[in-house]
Amino acid sequence: MTALATTVNVMHHAFRAGLADYRAIFTWKSWLAGWMVRVIAQVAFFALIGERLGDDQKTFYLLVGNSILIAAVTGIFSLNMTTGERWAGTLPLLVASPSSPILVFSARGSYLAADGALSALAALFIAGPLFGMELPWPRVLAVVPLTAVVGLASYCFGTFLAGIVFRFRSINGLVVLTVTVLLMAACGVNVPLSYYPEALEWFSRVLPVTNGLLAIRGVLDGADTATILGNAALEAAVAVGWMTLALASFNRLASRGRRDGSLDYGA
Amino acid sequence: MRAFLAGFRLELRIIRAAPDAFIPLATAPLFALIFLSIVRQSGRPDLQADALMAPVLMTLWWIALQQAGNMITGDRWEALLEPLLATPANLASVLLGRIAALTCFGLISFLEVWIVGELAFGVSIPFEHPVALVVTLLVTAFATAGTSVAFAAVFVLTRNAYTFTNSLSYPLYLLGGVFVPAAILPGFIQPISTGIFMSWSADLLRASLKPPPIDDLWQRIGVVVLLGALSFLLGRALLFHVLRRMRTNGELATA
Repeated sequence: MTALATTVNVMHHAFRAGLADYRAIFTWKSWLAGWMVRVIAQVAFFALIGERLGDDQKTFYLLVGNSILIAAVTGIFSLNMTTGERWAGTLPLLVASPSSPILVFSARGSYLAADGALSALAALFIAGPLFGMELPWPRVLAVVPLTAVVGLASYCFGTFLAGIVFRFRSINGLVVLTVTVLLMAACGVNVPLSYYPEALEWFSRVLPVTNGLLAIRGVLDGADTATILGNAALEAAVAVGWMTLALASFNRLASRGRRDGSLDYGA
Repeated sequence: MRAFLAGFRLELRIIRAAPDAFIPLATAPLFALIFLSIVRQSGRPDLQADALMAPVLMTLWWIALQQAGNMITGDRWEALLEPLLATPANLASVLLGRIAALTCFGLISFLEVWIVGELAFGVSIPFEHPVALVVTLLVTAFATAGTSVAFAAVFVLTRNAYTFTNSLSYPLYLLGGVFVPAAILPGFIQPISTGIFMSWSADLLRASLKPPPIDDLWQRIGVVVLLGALSFLLGRALLFHVLRRMRTNGELATA
């Protein structure tokens, strides 16, 4: 088997393992009645703040931002995978195997990017009409691939963070939720980037969500194609950047864990 | 009472060793920044106090759902439920003590949002009715603890409690009126919201930070206490039946 075929084989099996994990967490009924209800409630919570402010444009701004944020929330959940492996006692085995753990993790959790994009789009297309927001047809279809890019970028960012924190199992939950709220605070989800100090505005541009969300707002507001494509390209570049960093750092961090014995369940 | 105090002390020790307990305290200041940014950017400084109180209520809900709500399930996974039931102490009292410790810990978020508001935007908490504010915070903590016992009893019945608790967070923030008062919610939701103690607490907290006198203060505080006490009694009864069923069927251990 060639190196490429081996890699594809490992990723294929890891992806199937991820899907099996997901089926153990959700049935389609619990996904709809549990997860989707939470997603719609999250978006409605922020849209209602706009209603309380008495400003329809603000309502729509909050609705779009918080719908798309759902793609990031789910993408960042990839951080939980390494902790899951550790709880299951399979992390040392994974690190000891001849294939790279990053290959396994990146493929195993890729369903999260797809699930995130799907959830975000469902939130937008359900909550939007509920709050009286017009979704310009057929232009709104461009939101679909753009949301997928946001989900992918967030997943890449989550995978990078997984490499950083996977030796520190106890802070995993803390990192997942704090990062999620940080993205909500810093990525132009609730207020325009121009409201932030300039340094924060620049910082937010290298985070997932920011550029993709600008592209999506551009589609809904009728911005010119070049601006939309420019922001979409930046979001894709952010995805590539975080995955490159993940690839560069993950194996080194795993080796350090192997040396100091911090990978196993009891550590 | 001894069981309650023992539970209280035990949970304080657990908090010191569990970084997850600090999740709501890490996110509360960030939510305060988000809400303050929204209202200030929209030119509504009159809602700044509400923006500061919402993260405090969200912290208490989070604790009730994620930490207290999963308490029995967590004990069950760690095979602690059997020895816990074998002791002469009343489980509901131990549980209430542990949850009370968590809830008191959660009230630190009040200080956090106060500091963040001051440092980031120069916005302070307007103590217009300090007595009402303190009493409301205390009865809210009490009602949160009572409701948490009910959550813990219900969640132990589910196959995957964590999925369930994750799904309930924002629906409860919405129904509890933590930022948007129940009166602004769609009509069909309002009756549900009225039955949730948090919607009464949220209205009282917001009113205690505004200059006009608070209507029916003590009656409304009484409703919060009543709803919290009812939840605790319901949770205690449910817990009794759930644990009896588990004992009968040999389901106390997860294996």
